[in-house]
Amino acid sequence: MDYRVNLAARMLANKRGSLIGAVLAVSIGILVIHVNFVIFQGIYDAIIRDMTDYRFGDIFVSHEEEATIERSHVVYTNWFERVPLVQSATPRLSGSADIEFRSMGEFHEEYDVPVVGVEPVSDIQASKIHTTISDGQYVYARNSIVVGETVAEDLGGVRVGDNLKLIMTNQGGEENSKRFVVTGISKTAGGQGFDTSVIVHIDTLRSLVDRPNESNSIFVKLNEKNPAAALEIRKQFLAAYANDDLKAQTIEEAAEATLKGFRSGIAMINLIGYFGMGSSAFAIVTIQMMLVNSKTREIGVMRAIGAKRKDILMVFILQGMIIGAIGAGAGTGIGLAYTTYAKETNMQFQGSLALEVNYNWSKIAETALLAFFLAILAAIYPSYRATKLQPVEAMRNV
Amino acid sequence: MSDIVLELQNVSRIFGEGDTQVKALDDVSFKIKRGEFVLIVGSSGSGKSTLLNMIGLLDKPTFGKVILDGKETTTLKDGQVSQYRNEKLGFVFQFANLLPDLTVLENVMLPQQIQGISEDIRQNATDLLIKVGLEDQINKRSNKISGGQAQRAAIARGLVNRPTVVLADEPTGNLDSVTAGKVVKLAKTMAKELNQTFIIVTHDKHQFPDVDRIITIKDGKSYEEENTMEITV
Repeated sequence: MDYRVNLAARMLANKRGSLIGAVLAVSIGILVIHVNFVIFQGIYDAIIRDMTDYRFGDIFVSHEEEATIERSHVVYTNWFERVPLVQSATPRLSGSADIEFRSMGEFHEEYDVPVVGVEPVSDIQASKIHTTISDGQYVYARNSIVVGETVAEDLGGVRVGDNLKLIMTNQGGEENSKRFVVTGISKTAGGQGFDTSVIVHIDTLRSLVDRPNESNSIFVKLNEKNPAAALEIRKQFLAAYANDDLKAQTIEEAAEATLKGFRSGIAMINLIGYFGMGSSAFAIVTIQMMLVNSKTREIGVMRAIGAKRKDILMVFILQGMIIGAIGAGAGTGIGLAYTTYAKETNMQFQGSLALEVNYNWSKIAETALLAFFLAILAAIYPSYRATKLQPVEAMRNV
Repeated sequence: MSDIVLELQNVSRIFGEGDTQVKALDDVSFKIKRGEFVLIVGSSGSGKSTLLNMIGLLDKPTFGKVILDGKETTTLKDGQVSQYRNEKLGFVFQFANLLPDLTVLENVMLPQQIQGISEDIRQNATDLLIKVGLEDQINKRSNKISGGQAQRAAIARGLVNRPTVVLADEPTGNLDSVTAGKVVKLAKTMAKELNQTFIIVTHDKHQFPDVDRIITIKDGKSYEEENTMEITV
């Protein structure tokens, strides 16, 4: 082993307090980044997950210009379901309605409540919105309705078994109304489901708005998350129906408006994390300055017996490397342990959205390397100061 | 090979400027031959430490030349001076000054490692430690041995590169009289065995009987004591 490595390691080992302090500074810097990533990237990914599961699927087909797709959805869903990577495809139609509800003699009314029409059988296969029914069951008949929890509360406490009246205006401007039996209450932790909507059978909704066979969108779910496959399937679909003026979007495209704000927030949080890591570099500078000051005599002796300035520089830079390596290792280890814990326990905070925790190995490696190089960078100034000690001056420090 | 290993030519060292100027060394000149055991004696403040720094290439003279092993050293750059110190000089300090983070053996190996030698360094250092009677202390941390043992290890470190000159600064100043006697005897034995030039700086010449020469420093000037003749003024 090179004597400078040996000396650097021994000096640090014999100054355990300084070593632990410096390593902790690096580790905590990394840990902050990991915790930030788990929480904020976890929330972001959870929102994408829920939007994929409930609202958009992996591919979301709608009309390029019109609000609805006039051609029967069967043509499109059949096309998608012939693709082996597609799990299922289902049509959806949306609109808005006024809702009337009478309970215990009191009359409740809500205006412009979003209404989602689903085809119960294929929707259960394609989306996971049916899993959000906290009470009762999903839409199963023409007159059944699932009420979002917020709507249920706004209507004075709608329960399963209650009757609701939906009033909607069809495309001719005429009002149509229909009574429904509440079969379920839908509630999602992050609010990305239909908590502020009601869900009915698509055919019932079509009748109410007088749009037979029409749909707003086709929700396509793949067998597994595969963005590359989604892009390829989308491309082939659009090529197959080039004259239908359809647009097919991936989840990131379909939910862009929602996700854009989150991305800015995450970038800001990450920046704060990196500032935190940067501040750990100041701790290393301070600790190494103390180390250099406490080793003045040794530096003088080394210079006297022939060590060059670059040898002294190397000893203290190596200390920075050792601190960086141990700190990066420990910080990454603790960070990974935290990430694993968050993943295994489906971490959520007080009943809120369960985080979608993923191991982003490139980011983990990037953070560890950054911390390592930051520790070396922080060691440069103290090391430089050490080389500036004149042997005679240093020797006086006996 | 020249018989003269060290020559000081009209060396002066002035500290400060103007009214606060102090002349620590004043036109000192002398020559030392290979294998000589020389004592530099002076009271506190006489300038002997400044002279030691000049000879040890730890400081540069304001005027004059220091010629070590035939090479004028005052014009050398920092890196060259470091290399020269490593190859041509061995240091033994008053407080031994072993690096406390290293073992006794590692301390003795250090000058050779700095020089970039990789072969036989462990064996060379071990041989020297055996010669100075520290074979049972080799792997101990250097701050875990006694002052006398540390000083013997420091002598081994000073000799390990087979330097042209070994410089010892008050090598017995921190030791009791019995241990000091042993260290003096060891230094003489090593000097004789290895035909090694030793320059010892001390304030107490009585601890070093039978030396080849004594140079006295007084008020920054040097005197040869044997005939009390001022060799250079």
